[in-house]
Amino acid sequence: MSKFQPLASFLSSHHEYKLLPFKFEQLNDQDYVLTNLTGDYLSVPRAQLNRIVEHQVTPDEPIYSDLRSKHFIYEPNDIAPVELLGLKLRTKYSRLAEFTNLHIFVVTLRCDHSCPYCQVSRQSEDKAAFDMTPAMADKALDFVFKTPSKAIKIEFQGGEPLLNFEMVRYVVLEAEKRNAVTQRELAFVIATTLSLVTDDILSFCRDHNIVLSSSLDGPEELHNANRPRPNRNSHQKFVEGLNKARLALGFDNVSALMTTTEASLPMVNDIIDEYLRLGFRGIFLRPLSPYGFAIKTKKYRSYNTQRWLEFYKEGLNYIIELNRSGVKFSEHYTSLILTKMMTSTDPGYVDLMNPAGLGIAAIVFNYDGGVYASDESRMLAEMGDQTFLLGNVLVNTYEEVMLSDKLLDALEESFTLSVPMCSDCAFEPYCGAEPVYHHAIHKDFVAKKPESEFCNRNMSIFKHILGLMHSDKFTKQLFLEWSTRC
Amino acid sequence: MSVTTLTFDERIYPVDALQKAAYRFMNLFVVDFSIDKNLIICSLKPTQNSSQEGMDYHIDEFKKEVLDQVLRLKIKAETEDVRNLILGIAFSKSGFQ
Repeated sequence: MSKFQPLASFLSSHHEYKLLPFKFEQLNDQDYVLTNLTGDYLSVPRAQLNRIVEHQVTPDEPIYSDLRSKHFIYEPNDIAPVELLGLKLRTKYSRLAEFTNLHIFVVTLRCDHSCPYCQVSRQSEDKAAFDMTPAMADKALDFVFKTPSKAIKIEFQGGEPLLNFEMVRYVVLEAEKRNAVTQRELAFVIATTLSLVTDDILSFCRDHNIVLSSSLDGPEELHNANRPRPNRNSHQKFVEGLNKARLALGFDNVSALMTTTEASLPMVNDIIDEYLRLGFRGIFLRPLSPYGFAIKTKKYRSYNTQRWLEFYKEGLNYIIELNRSGVKFSEHYTSLILTKMMTSTDPGYVDLMNPAGLGIAAIVFNYDGGVYASDESRMLAEMGDQTFLLGNVLVNTYEEVMLSDKLLDALEESFTLSVPMCSDCAFEPYCGAEPVYHHAIHKDFVAKKPESEFCNRNMSIFKHILGLMHSDKFTKQLFLEWSTRC
Repeated sequence: MSVTTLTFDERIYPVDALQKAAYRFMNLFVVDFSIDKNLIICSLKPTQNSSQEGMDYHIDEFKKEVLDQVLRLKIKAETEDVRNLILGIAFSKSGFQ
């Protein structure tokens, strides 16, 4: 005798269902994707979508249980779906209560590289006027330890932060001293080209659990062309620094990011191969951002979104095939999106946050004491646009900065659930507000989304990822693994 | 560039749906709206050069988008109460003021 009642016992006696809130978008010529309030998704043909909305789907159809289990419909006596959706939504937004985890210290604007696409308007190596002072660092640390977040990450950026390593050392020691009292989860990252790394620096990093985030644009010729420095040996310096740093800090404590230039476009497989050759387990395929030198040197306009998407798709396809042949390797942007698609966890990636990550996910203390709402904000400021300059640590209090109209207006106006088109978009749970990007390009925190390359690029990526999962079981399983890595 | 005129019966198509569809196509058309008795008249002026074939394709897509927007409005109307209930549950114990 079965221990369970037959299936019919669990079906509505009236064969009625109600809709739960959901949105939809066309996925391809045949199918539409449906997403609910928390980002659970389902792909159905257009005719089926119409039947769902018209309450024509019956319990004996296979789609019925999918719709019910993924919270697109509920039956009149069901209580759990409403409570579960509320709980998942609360989990998704729980990071808001503990705002500002990432604190970026721009310890110097000096740099030994002169990359034409650099998103920071760099200064030459010998101008000490572009270094952070201890007085500014102290005030910035006052600010850092006012965050309600249990976890504090301090990231050192530049320029090249190793050119002012004394300030890095000072901030780390001071932060640890303060943390001995407040007991937060304190972590440090240095964003560095690795060209100036020394045994002394690595020894300090090892002793204070500092991890390194670096840049690798691809094979030697491409990397050196993208990232000029004296002697044209950026790639050689990177590899030497990488090997030393891995030995000193541990293999996985050194990561790398790439930036796509026009010269990268025909070379995506070579770039991925270079990451593999150097032992990395993944790559972040990143387009150029419209800030700093990328705009001044017109690099930003050297290729369009469509061409970058071809580059991304070709690279992603190559990575999937590598995995199919047994080589474990992932694409980080895809992984971030998959985490948003398949889990209730927000991976905390600033570009894909709503409300935007401005100030509440990350905040920047510039070398001159200026407080900026994000890394991109200070890059805009170096170009003369101070829209996101929130104050200065030397004269403004934490409350004045965090409650400033400049910050709150940008957060409120760009909130995607009240923005035209975003508020109806099925991909909204996966996407982000990005007011700095839209302000930089459109002079508007929101912009008209049909004209937004950010919207166009991400919509295409979301559709591509869903299409790949829909069409291939191996890819679906692989993406499921990637979704839990962030 | 030639202007294409489409007419929609307001008893079938809510003007909200037409406006939302026009917004989504603003990179392809500038849409002017007018009303004549029960008919909503949409004049679509292309924003960029396009072949007749391309224009016909985009107009067909616009019509499909109007239907999608009608469906979106139906879902929104039916689910507004439960949406507010879910949001209430989500934020009731968040500590946010």
